[in-house]
Amino acid sequence: MAKQEIIAMILAGGQGSRLGVLTDFIAKPAVPFGSRYRIIDFPLSNCMNSGIETVGVLTQYQPLELNSYIGNGHSWDLDRNNGGTYILPPYLSQEGNDWYKGTANAIYQNIPFIDGFQPSYVLILSGDHIYKMDYAAMVAHHIEKKAGATIAVIEVPWSEAPRFGIMDTDEHDRVIEFQEKPEQPKNNLASMGVYCFSWEVLREVLILDENDPGSKNDFGGDVIPGMIERGLDVFTWHFDGYWKDVGTVGSLWESNMDLLKEPSAINLRDRSWPVYSKNPQRPSHYFGPKAVVNNIAVTDGAEIFGEVENSIVGYNVIVEEGAVVRDSLLMPGACVKKGAVLTRCIVGMNTIIEEDVRATPDEPGDAFMSPLCEDDITVIAPGLVIRKGARIAGNSMVGPGHAKTHPDRVAESPNQVRREMELC
Amino acid sequence: MLTDAMGLILADNRRIQLGALNQPRALAAVPFAGRFRIIDFTLSNMVNCGIKRIGVVALTRYKSLMDHVGTGSWWDLDRMRQGLYLIPPYINPVTRAPDRTDAQGIIDYVESGDQKYVFISASDYVSNVHYRPLLDSHKASGADMSVYYARDGKKESALSLAIETDEDSRITGLMVDFPYSASELNAFGLLVIEKDLLIRILTEMMARGIADFSILGLLQLYDRFNIRAVEHKGLLFRIYDIRSYFEASMSMLDDEIRRGLFSHDRPIYTKVKNEAPCIVSPESGHVDNVLSSDGCVIMGEVKNSVLFRGCVIGRNARVTNSVLFQDVQISEGVVLDHVIVDKNSVIKMGGRLLGQPGYPIVIGKNSIV
Repeated sequence: MAKQEIIAMILAGGQGSRLGVLTDFIAKPAVPFGSRYRIIDFPLSNCMNSGIETVGVLTQYQPLELNSYIGNGHSWDLDRNNGGTYILPPYLSQEGNDWYKGTANAIYQNIPFIDGFQPSYVLILSGDHIYKMDYAAMVAHHIEKKAGATIAVIEVPWSEAPRFGIMDTDEHDRVIEFQEKPEQPKNNLASMGVYCFSWEVLREVLILDENDPGSKNDFGGDVIPGMIERGLDVFTWHFDGYWKDVGTVGSLWESNMDLLKEPSAINLRDRSWPVYSKNPQRPSHYFGPKAVVNNIAVTDGAEIFGEVENSIVGYNVIVEEGAVVRDSLLMPGACVKKGAVLTRCIVGMNTIIEEDVRATPDEPGDAFMSPLCEDDITVIAPGLVIRKGARIAGNSMVGPGHAKTHPDRVAESPNQVRREMELC
Repeated sequence: MLTDAMGLILADNRRIQLGALNQPRALAAVPFAGRFRIIDFTLSNMVNCGIKRIGVVALTRYKSLMDHVGTGSWWDLDRMRQGLYLIPPYINPVTRAPDRTDAQGIIDYVESGDQKYVFISASDYVSNVHYRPLLDSHKASGADMSVYYARDGKKESALSLAIETDEDSRITGLMVDFPYSASELNAFGLLVIEKDLLIRILTEMMARGIADFSILGLLQLYDRFNIRAVEHKGLLFRIYDIRSYFEASMSMLDDEIRRGLFSHDRPIYTKVKNEAPCIVSPESGHVDNVLSSDGCVIMGEVKNSVLFRGCVIGRNARVTNSVLFQDVQISEGVVLDHVIVDKNSVIKMGGRLLGQPGYPIVIGKNSIV
C-alpha cells in the first residue's frame, strides 16, 4: 500500500437505538436523509472534498445495507487505485479479537490497516452527523499547533451545553479539561465527534488504553480525557457552520426540515462542495395534473399526484391523488395511497400507506406510543403496510412487531425484499 | 444476455437538423426527458441486453458527447476488457481535412472485437427496446442484416424510411422521406449484422470513396443483400426535427408512457450530477403536470413542462408547455409558453416568449434574453 499523508476512519458501527424501528435492520449511517442522501454521505463527501481519498468505514451493527450502499466507493469518487474506501468489520484472530468494544477499541483493532498506509495524521469521524467541513483546514491547524490531538468544536448556547461533551480551553485553544455532559459547564465549546490525531501519538495512546482494564475504550469517555490528564497536546479547532447530530427521532426530523426552513445553512446547492450520494438511476420526478405541492424537497423517480406540504420526499416515492402529506419525511420508495392523511410522520423505506389511513397528532389512541418519539412525531418502520383506514396517533412508533400484535392495522410488506433489490 | 454481440452507436445523422439544439452538440448528446441525453437510451438498451463492448462513432461537435459518456462508468462500461470505445473522425495530418479513412476507425473497432454480431444503432430515436427478438429473428431467417421497423409510416410526416417487404419480411423496396408512401412500415435506426460482412461493406465503402456511414446507407444495399425487417411494437419516439423533439418531450408527462420507457427492470442510466434535491418553495404557484429534476428551485408557476437539472424558476414567473434544459434561469415575472430553452440560458425579468403548439420558440445555449 502506498503511503498516505492523511487517512480517515469513519465510525459507522453504531446501532442508533434512539431511532427505534428506523434502525432495526440498518445501521444509523445508512438511514436516508434529505430526500436523496444517506447520513454517511456527509462525512464521505467531506473526505473527498477535503482531498482525503483513503477512508476506512468501520461497520458492526447491521452492516448489509451500509456495505451495499457504499460498494466500491464509486459514488463518492472513492474508488481509487491508491487508497479509496475500505469496509472494516470486526474479525477474529489468534489473539482473540472480538466485536468492537468501543470506538477506541475499533480503531485499535485496525492498527495494522492504518500502519499499512504509514500516515502522518488520522482523522476519526462519526458516521451520524449532518455537516460540511473542510478537514484539510483542521489538519493544517493541527500541524500549525504541533498538536497530538485536535478536536473540532462548535459553540453551543450555554443553556444547551449540559447536553454535550464540553471542552474547556486556555487562550491558545489548548484543552485543559473535558467535561462529559456537565451540569456546571465551564465553557460552551461542544465536541463534534471529529478528531484529528498524529498517528504516532494515537497509536501509543490506543495501546495504553487497550491495556487499561478500567477503560471502556471510548474516544470521548476515555482516550481524550486520558490524553488531557497526561498533559499531551490536545487542541481545539473551531468550526462554525451547520452541524447536527441526528441521533434521535426529533433531531432527525428537525434536521431534515432545516433543508426547507433555512436551505442556505447546509447549502446543498454549493457546486464547489457537492454532497455525493449513490444515484438510484430513475427518471426525473413528476408532479401530476392535480398535485398541490408547497415547500418540499423532492428527487428522482418520485411521483406526486396528491397534496404535499412542508415535507421531504425521497426517491421513488409515490403520493396518490387525494392523499395529503404535511410536515413529514417520506423515505425512498414509500407509497401513500388515495385518501390517506399523514401529518408529522417519518415513513420508512418502501413502506406502503394504504387508502384512507390517518396518521396525525389529533388521532386518539396510544397502542403504538413510544418514549422515543416526541413533539407528536410518528415513526413508521421501513417495509411495512399500514392497512386501509387504520388510525395512528401522534408520538407513535410502528414497527414490524405490530404486524403480530395489531394485524388489523399493520402488516409486513410482501414485496419488501424485491423492492429493496431494485433500490440498491 | 447477448454475449456474442457488440454495439456500434452512430452519434450523428447528417439528415437530421434540430436547429439550435444540435448546433452545439452531436444528435446523440441532445438532452431528453429532464435528466437524460438521447444516447443514454441506446447505451442502456445495449447494456441491459448484455452487450459489454460499445463503440460510439462521432462525426463533429463531440465535446459535449465525450463529457457526457466519460469513461462509461454510468453504464458499467469502464472495463479492462471490452467497455466503451469512442471513435472520433480522423483528420489527414497533411491536408488537415477529414480523411477518406473515416471508416477505418470503425473497421478497427469492429475487427478487434471477439463477438460475431454487431448491433448498429442510430441516435434519431428514443426507446426502451429489447434486442433479443431482432437477433433471434436474424439467426432464424439466415438474413445478411435485420432491421427493426414500426408501423408509423403513415403518421410520420417528415423523415422516414418506408420499406416494402415480401412474404418473408425481406426488404424489396425503400422510399426515403417520401410523403405519399404506400407502406406504413417505417424502418428505424437499429440493425444487426455479422461482423465479417460489416467489415466487407465498410472496406468497399472506403474503396469507393463513400465517407458517410449510416443505417440508410446499409438499407440501400437491399438489392445486393438479404435484409429482413422485424417489427418493434413497443414505445418509440423518433427525433427528426424540433417539432418531433418537442412532442416526444411532452409525451414524457404521460404516466403510462413514462413508466413504460423507464421500467424498473430495464433502467435507463445517465451521468450522475450530484445536484441537491429539487425545492418547491413556499411562494411557488401551481406546479402541475411537470417533470422536473434535481437541483431545480421552483418559485413561480409551472404547467405542462419538462425541467432539466438545476433550473431556477423565479417568483411570479409563469412557464407553460415548455422544455427548459440544464441550469436555465427564468427570472421574476417572466412568461414562457411553448418554448425550448437550451442549457445555461437566462431569461431576464419581464421577458415574454410565446410560441405556438407545434412551433415552439427555441432559445440557443448560453443565451441571455
